[in-house]
Amino acid sequence: MEKKNKMEKHWRMKAHRVSKPPNFRKSDTKKKKKSLKETKDGRREKSGPHLPSSFLKEIGIQKPISNSSDQDEGDDESDESDDLYEYVEKLPEEERKENRRFDQVENYDYELPEEFEDEDVPSDEEDDGEDDEEEKGDDAEKHARMLQSITGLPAKAFEDKPRKDAVLSDVHGDFGQEKISINDLLDPLHGKAGYSKLRKRLHQLEKAPMAIQAPLPKVEKEKLERKVAYEQSKKDITKWEPLVKRNREAPTLFFGEKINLGVNTVGAIAAGHEPRTEFEKKMAELIGVPEITEAQKNDGFKILELNKVSIEDVRDRQNYLAKMRSLLFRHEMKAKHIKNIKSKTYHRILKKQRQKTASSEINVDPEEAKELAIKQEFKRAEERMTLKHKNSSKWAKRILKRGLKAQDDGTRTAIADQLHQHALLTRKMNSMNENSSSDESTNDDSDYLSPGSDNEGVSKILNKAKNKTIKAMEDEDEIPKSGVFSLPFMERGLKKQKEAAFEEARLALQEYELSLGKLGEDDETGPSTEIKTGRRVFGGVKLLPVRPNTNHNRSDSEGDFEIREEDDLPKVEIVQQDVHIRSALVPDDDIETGQGTIYKEFGDIVKNPGSKTTYDVAIFASDSWRKCKQMGDKNPSENVKAVDDNIATSSRDSVGDEYNSDSESELEMVDGFLSSDPKSDDYKLPSQDDLIRRAFAGDDVEMEFKKEKMDVLNEENPEPEKPVLLPGWGQWTHIQRKKGIPSVITEEHERAKRKRDEALKKRKDAHLKHVIISEKIDKKAEKLHANTLPFPYTSKDVYEQSIRMPIGPDYNPAISIGALNRPAVVKRTGVIIKPIKYEDVDPHGKYEESKETKNTQKPKKNKHAESKKSNKSIQKPMAKKAKLAGGKVFSK
Amino acid sequence: MKVKVISRSTDEFTRERSQDLQKVFRNYDPNIRSQERAVEYTRALKAAKLEKIFARPFIGAMDGHIDAVSCMAKNPNHLNGIFSGSVDGDIRLWSLTSRKTVCHFPGHQGNVRGLSVSTDGETLVSCGTDSTVRLWTVPDYRNKSAGESAGNAVAPIAVYVWKHAFWDVDHQWGQNIFATVGAQVDIWDHDRSEPVNTFKWGNDTFISVRFNPGEPDLFATTSSDRSIILYDLRMSSPARKLIMKTRCNSLSWNPMEPMNFTAANEDTNCYSYDARKMDEPKCVHADHVSAVMDIDYSPTGREFVTGSYDRTVRIFNYNGDHSKEIYHTKRMQRVFCVKYTCDGSYVISGSDDTNLRLWKAKASEQLGILLPRERRKQEYLDAVKDRYKHLPEVRRIVRHRHLPKPIYKAANLRRTMIGAERKKDQRRRAHSAPGSMPVQPFRKRRIIKEEE
Repeated sequence: MEKKNKMEKHWRMKAHRVSKPPNFRKSDTKKKKKSLKETKDGRREKSGPHLPSSFLKEIGIQKPISNSSDQDEGDDESDESDDLYEYVEKLPEEERKENRRFDQVENYDYELPEEFEDEDVPSDEEDDGEDDEEEKGDDAEKHARMLQSITGLPAKAFEDKPRKDAVLSDVHGDFGQEKISINDLLDPLHGKAGYSKLRKRLHQLEKAPMAIQAPLPKVEKEKLERKVAYEQSKKDITKWEPLVKRNREAPTLFFGEKINLGVNTVGAIAAGHEPRTEFEKKMAELIGVPEITEAQKNDGFKILELNKVSIEDVRDRQNYLAKMRSLLFRHEMKAKHIKNIKSKTYHRILKKQRQKTASSEINVDPEEAKELAIKQEFKRAEERMTLKHKNSSKWAKRILKRGLKAQDDGTRTAIADQLHQHALLTRKMNSMNENSSSDESTNDDSDYLSPGSDNEGVSKILNKAKNKTIKAMEDEDEIPKSGVFSLPFMERGLKKQKEAAFEEARLALQEYELSLGKLGEDDETGPSTEIKTGRRVFGGVKLLPVRPNTNHNRSDSEGDFEIREEDDLPKVEIVQQDVHIRSALVPDDDIETGQGTIYKEFGDIVKNPGSKTTYDVAIFASDSWRKCKQMGDKNPSENVKAVDDNIATSSRDSVGDEYNSDSESELEMVDGFLSSDPKSDDYKLPSQDDLIRRAFAGDDVEMEFKKEKMDVLNEENPEPEKPVLLPGWGQWTHIQRKKGIPSVITEEHERAKRKRDEALKKRKDAHLKHVIISEKIDKKAEKLHANTLPFPYTSKDVYEQSIRMPIGPDYNPAISIGALNRPAVVKRTGVIIKPIKYEDVDPHGKYEESKETKNTQKPKKNKHAESKKSNKSIQKPMAKKAKLAGGKVFSK
Repeated sequence: MKVKVISRSTDEFTRERSQDLQKVFRNYDPNIRSQERAVEYTRALKAAKLEKIFARPFIGAMDGHIDAVSCMAKNPNHLNGIFSGSVDGDIRLWSLTSRKTVCHFPGHQGNVRGLSVSTDGETLVSCGTDSTVRLWTVPDYRNKSAGESAGNAVAPIAVYVWKHAFWDVDHQWGQNIFATVGAQVDIWDHDRSEPVNTFKWGNDTFISVRFNPGEPDLFATTSSDRSIILYDLRMSSPARKLIMKTRCNSLSWNPMEPMNFTAANEDTNCYSYDARKMDEPKCVHADHVSAVMDIDYSPTGREFVTGSYDRTVRIFNYNGDHSKEIYHTKRMQRVFCVKYTCDGSYVISGSDDTNLRLWKAKASEQLGILLPRERRKQEYLDAVKDRYKHLPEVRRIVRHRHLPKPIYKAANLRRTMIGAERKKDQRRRAHSAPGSMPVQPFRKRRIIKEEE
């Protein structure tokens, strides 16, 4: 019989297996596996498109009886539809089983019956039964052989028993010759919900004819297999993604950290110590007494704590006491030492010092001051009572008796001192308020002296003084009605005093008024003349909007005024040159220029008042306070001179010679005015343009821009320094001044100027009136800037931010340096680094901590980018690079 | 008068021991130190210069083979040992500390093409053109000095003769399985005399094989039909094939990122791939001027070393498109194999001139134990250098490498060629109908196709 044949084949195989070394067990099992698979896939084989052809062939041989019944076919159809849907997923399992790496024999043995039961296709039974039989056969054969070896009888004698077993074993799988149709299975469901639906469906399936597809060609099949394999491995690798991502994002990777280096602390070593010598043992015994240890455990700690606290207190106290003692001692010593000093001068000086400190202390503390005042009051009262210093002493009386003139200088001064002392003591003390008011007044005075105001300042002083005197006069009218002053003789004395004072005040007032009047006259002349010049001189020729600026008016805007002053003053010295420079100013600077020239001329006049100036101007110029102010101003003005000249000359090129002549005419006109030239009488009505310009004279945006541009130009192409007299040799003898500045220097200056002019012409914004194009390149600073924005950064600010904080130990506390400077990979030489091991990534891992510490210097933008790319970041090299360059994260 | 006195608490200014360092008190107020950036920049510059001064990567050569060194293997369980196989069939075990041969493994008749050590470090597998696979027990050389065991010869524990010559072998991580390649890919078990599994795809010779250390069932081969093939041991068939324009001589998996590997190509470049997306490499690492022969990843996964036919060894960042380091000596010839040591601090190269060479992985690193202060200083300098690496001066110094003349010229030539090619391409594009010549990035251009 066929079955028997097969059985025998199996037995043979088994015998083979037994004889072979264990190495080959696998291949054997594999064969068996194959057969198992056949049985298992018996059902699937019908739908067929995916099974290997070899399988099909084998199955065809093994199962000549196909499922003939209609029901079965119907079943198949339903199955097939499933199969078509599922086959992709089922294949890999199959593949895996083919792999010989896994010894899964037991598994199959175990699983088979279950699966078998599940299968309701009768055709499988046979195979399975056979398989079972085979198993049984195996056992039987073994058993038979064992018996044979024991009894010595031939193996056939024992063959009956296993046969029976085989038959019995079929019980659970064998359903006889009858085939179970799907209807049989459906019957028990009769009457339940959904039964009709199921039945309908079944009918449909039965009706549809079904053709078995031909197996795929080998190439296609392999391709599918590979595809599945790739998908599978892809899925496997993807599980690493979060782990890898975490590692990549970690600012620092630690390798070989968990390595055990053994015991390394003293405490740990001591803990492992065991007593060896007798002494040690004794000690251990003593120490190890339970009472002591207990005490140490329970109270010891507390006691220690208490001790600690008290020790601190005690120490503090001791320190305090010691300090006090030492202070006392020092004080004592000092006192002794001072007492020992016999020098009178020393004591005198000391006394004076003490007084001084006392007087200086008044201002410090109000309470103390009050105390002091009381004291002083007391002293004063005492002095008035005793008149100790009012030449009432014996010595003074004697000297007075002998006559002061007969005394020597020393004695006289001593007497005077005494009197002075008396005066001091008896004088009524000023209150604090009075002091402060006097301070204010001094401040005011200093204000008056400041260069900002001149005319007005003086008038202010005078006015104030006047007011004060008037007020004082009024105040003095009140006479105290009570106290000492109410006494008749006191009254009389006071009156006398007052009269004298009144007289004085009146005189002073007169003086003030006089001087004020003079000043007013001056002021009046000042503005009037200037306005005159403005109208008469400039209006005719150039339509210049001259502001009626007077010294007096301009003191409102002090800064402005100061500049003007500075403008004019330098010219006083080198008149000729300045005139030349001034003559070449830009048209927009005209206003300034005009004023400048006025001032210059005026300065000129001031210098040589004799020749051209009228009387008024001479008076004005020769005013003493004005002169003083000029002297004061000279120095600062010289400092600014260079700047002023820069502005002036920088614009010279753009201006033609016409202005030269203009300015000359201006000069003449000023002269003309001063000499009251009739030519200057003609006056033109201002044009519309001029009027507009005049209207908007205040907010001159264009001017501001011009000035700004000029500043930029000067900054980028600095004006060569003007040659000046060289300090040093020949300075005292004025050789240089006589001979003039060396030609070399002047030539050089000329060259530099020319160069600058060319540079200015070459500028991109040379012809653009309303544009500034900066061409500044700082070569030294250039190497401190990155040429382009480094890769991961998208904005300059972020990059700047990332390198803003210093990371060095000089700028950071020791605690944070470690985190700031930690390299991207921390490893130890000599420690083997194992490849990555899979672990579920928890968000609060070790790396997270370190990341937090590093966050300070890591560009945040990167992090965002990373989180956005959560999935792709790992595969994208760009992202990697971003990481790399993004601060410390992945460098190297 | 008020007198200000410096007051110091004794607690802060007393040292516990005389050797203790005095504590330095600093005021970290940024307003006081306004020049901090300038100072740090200067330090960075200085650090860059010092790095250049101290860059002495070459440690020593290991001389002993009488023919070119064709392959090497590192012991994953022991740092000191490195195995090398040469073209004449000689296999040696070297002690890196003494740079001497510890023992020989005689037996191969021809070129030893592949060497690999099991994860436990007990078994060495070798294969060669004599169609044999030999298994050796690694002798316990840890306690022996080099002189003692210099003449030691070890006999193989197994010799398996197979049908074809072998080109490479690699051991699976953690298990007793290794793979050999030649005419086909064979999977072997330590205990079997015949391969337990065989993969084949196409008819070309396989050149190299590498197991994925992170995902041990996965491995990849390169073959002479210019392809890279992925396999999964659990499957019966290969998984994916990628065909490039030139062949890959070797590849290496990133041990810290199991999905990524880098292949050393004949066209002087290395290509980093994600095994899941093989249609384009994630990064092209260019700098060599001749074929790259071997590649090995650092165990940290952050850099890899390549050896090239142009007689140089280069170190790349795992994501850097250009090398960060180049090693060369006058006498070093074509490099056939390179390895990173298992602690990631040394690099070993085996070359045509029969020598193995030991290099530092970081050229200017100070060897030996560093005091904590020294280490901190070094870390600070590195950090500062890293921070200012974009500034022109620092970048120039850090980037600068002295190259041997032939390599310098070859690199220049290559650059011109590439430039010319690009120009030509641009012109073609300019003179053809718009859209008829789509722009393709270089990395995609190097791939012919991905086969399923």
